[in-house]
Amino acid sequence: MADSYNPDSEPTTRTLLRRVLDTADPRTPRRRRSAWMSAQKATPETHSSNRQNSGTKTTVRRSQRIRSVSKSAHVQASRQLEEQTPRTLLTNILLTAPESSIVMPEPGVKPLPTPKVAQSSRRESSRGSLELQFQELEPSITVAPSRLALGKRKQRLRLSVFQQEVEQELPPSHEPCGNADASSLTSSLNLTFTTPLQPQSVQRPGLARRPPNRRAVDVNAFLQDIQDTSLALAAPGDNLRTPVATLPTDMVLEDTQPFSHPLVGPSPSAPPSLPCSSHTGAEDVVRLVRHGPQCSSSGVQNKKDGAVPFQDGVHEAEEKMEESWRVNKEKETTTQRPAGMEESEVHTEPEPEGSLGTMDISGKAASPELASSIPEFLQARQLHQLLEQAPPPSTAALSSEPLEPQLTRHPPKARTPSSRSRQDPYKIGLNHYMKFFTFYAKMPMEKKALEMVEKCLDKYFQHLCDDLEAYAAHAGRKTVGPEDLELLMRRQGLVTDQVSLHVLVERHLPLEYRQLLIPCAFSGNSVFPAQ
Amino acid sequence: MAPSTTVSQRKLIKRKAPRGFLRRVFKRQKPHLRLGTGGDLLVHLNCLLFIHRLAEESRTKACEDKCGVIKKEHVMAAAKVILKKSRG
Repeated sequence: MADSYNPDSEPTTRTLLRRVLDTADPRTPRRRRSAWMSAQKATPETHSSNRQNSGTKTTVRRSQRIRSVSKSAHVQASRQLEEQTPRTLLTNILLTAPESSIVMPEPGVKPLPTPKVAQSSRRESSRGSLELQFQELEPSITVAPSRLALGKRKQRLRLSVFQQEVEQELPPSHEPCGNADASSLTSSLNLTFTTPLQPQSVQRPGLARRPPNRRAVDVNAFLQDIQDTSLALAAPGDNLRTPVATLPTDMVLEDTQPFSHPLVGPSPSAPPSLPCSSHTGAEDVVRLVRHGPQCSSSGVQNKKDGAVPFQDGVHEAEEKMEESWRVNKEKETTTQRPAGMEESEVHTEPEPEGSLGTMDISGKAASPELASSIPEFLQARQLHQLLEQAPPPSTAALSSEPLEPQLTRHPPKARTPSSRSRQDPYKIGLNHYMKFFTFYAKMPMEKKALEMVEKCLDKYFQHLCDDLEAYAAHAGRKTVGPEDLELLMRRQGLVTDQVSLHVLVERHLPLEYRQLLIPCAFSGNSVFPAQ
Repeated sequence: MAPSTTVSQRKLIKRKAPRGFLRRVFKRQKPHLRLGTGGDLLVHLNCLLFIHRLAEESRTKACEDKCGVIKKEHVMAAAKVILKKSRG
C-alpha cells in the first residue's frame, strides 16, 4: 500500500509528514503516514496500536537501520516500518490527544501551533544533521517562506484529518494510546526517539538532498491541501471530537517533538514569518529568533507533562536560536557598524587636524570599539585618512609638529650644552674631585660642605697655577715640567725624603698613568718614558 | 631632609683623571704657559693628595665635634689648614 501511495504523494507527504510529525521519528513512517492518511487511515492505526504495545522503540530502530543499509531494502522494509512508524505516530497523537482533550481550551490555538510545528519539524530535521540544518534552514528562510507556510498549513490539514479519522476510529487506537502515553511520558521513549534521530541525521545526507525537491512539489499540492484543511477545520468544528482530535494532533506533534519540543519553541515564530514570507530571509530569521524564546516558553507550558524531553528540545531550540541570533547579530553588526564607522570617522576627523599622534590615538581608540568590526571599517578609515583629511593634516602636522618640537627641543639642547660648557666644564671637573672628596672622607657629609669643598678646589687651582707659573718663570721656562710639580709637592710636604714622587704615583694613580709617569725599561734596551 | 642635605659615602669612584679639564684650567689660568707631558697627570696627583688631606682633616674636625656628618664648618676649618699647608 505504502509503495503505491508513495510515488503519488511522496514529495508532499514525505515533506509534510517529516516536517509536521517529527524529524525525530523515522521519516519513512511519516511518508507512509501521509500515504495512509490520504488512503488508509484505520488499518495502520490498528496495526500500530497492536505493535506499539509490543514495542515501538525496536521497530523504529530497525527501520532506521534498514534505511541505512540500502534504499531498496528500505522500500521493502518500509511497509513493515511504515506500519510501525504510523504506530508510533498514532501512539504519539493518541497520547497527546487525550491530554489535549482534557485540556480542551487549547483547540482554539490549534491553527497557530500547527504551522509552528511544521516549521519546528523542519528545524528539527535540520538539527538532527548538520547538513540537513544548513540546507533546510537556508531554503526555509530565503527561498520559499511562502512554501513553508503552505507546507505547514497542509501539514495541519493532514494532521487534523488524520486525527479526526483516527478519533473516529479511536476506540481501537485509544487503548494503545494509553500504553503509548505511558511510554511517551517516560523519558525512555523520548530517549529512544532521540537516539534514532541522531543516526538518521548521520545517515540522511542522501535524504537531505531530497527535501528541496519535495518542497517544490509540495507547494502546489500544499496550496490545495491548505484550502482543504481550512475547509476541514471549519467543518470538523461541527463535530466536538474532531476539534479535540485536531488539537490533540497538535499536541501529539508537540509531544512527539520531544525532539521537537524545540520545534514548538521556534514554531510560534513561524506564524509571524508566514505573513512576512514576502520579506527577506534575514527579516524572517530575525522574527523567528525573536519569537523563538516565546515559542519555547509556550511549548513548555503546553507540554508540562514531559519535562525531560522539553528540556532537551529547549536546549536544541536554544542552540538553533543562538545560531540564528548569530546570523542576525552579524547582519545587525554589519548594519550598525557602518554607523560606528561614521562615528569613529567623525571622531577621527577633528583629531587629525590637531596632530598625527591624535589621529593614531583616535584610530587605536576606535579600533577596540570596533575591534570585532569588519575590514570595511578599516577600509573606510584608510579612505578617509588617505583621501580626505589625513593627507593634508598629515602633511601639515608633519611639517608643523616636527618643526615645532625640533625648534623647541634643539634650543634647549643647545642651551643645556652651552650652560654646561659655560658652567660645567670647570664645575664638572670640580665635581669629579668632589666625588674623590666624598670617597676619601669616608663619612656622610652635607651638601653645603660640598659647596665649600668646591670653593676650596677653586682656590687650590688658583694657587697651584700661580705656584707653577712662579717655578717655571724662576727656571726661565715657559713650559711647566714634572720637576716643577715635584718641587711644588715637595714644598707642600707631600714628597719627602722617605716618600718619593714615584711612590705617590704608584699609590694614588692607576696603572695606565703610572706607566706614563714612571720610567720603566722595556725590551730592546729602551726606557719609557724617556728621561 | 636628611637624604637631601647629606651625601652618603661613595663606595666606588672613577680613578680616571680628567686630563682635558686640568689642561683647560691651567690654560685658562696661565694662557702664556704650556703644560709639559705628564704635567696634567702630576697636577691630577697633586689635586688628589690635596683632596685626600682635606677630606681627612675635615673628618677629624667632624670627629672632634662628635658629629657623624661632615658639616660646612668642618670643611671650612680643614680648608683653612690645608690650603695653608699646600702653598707652594
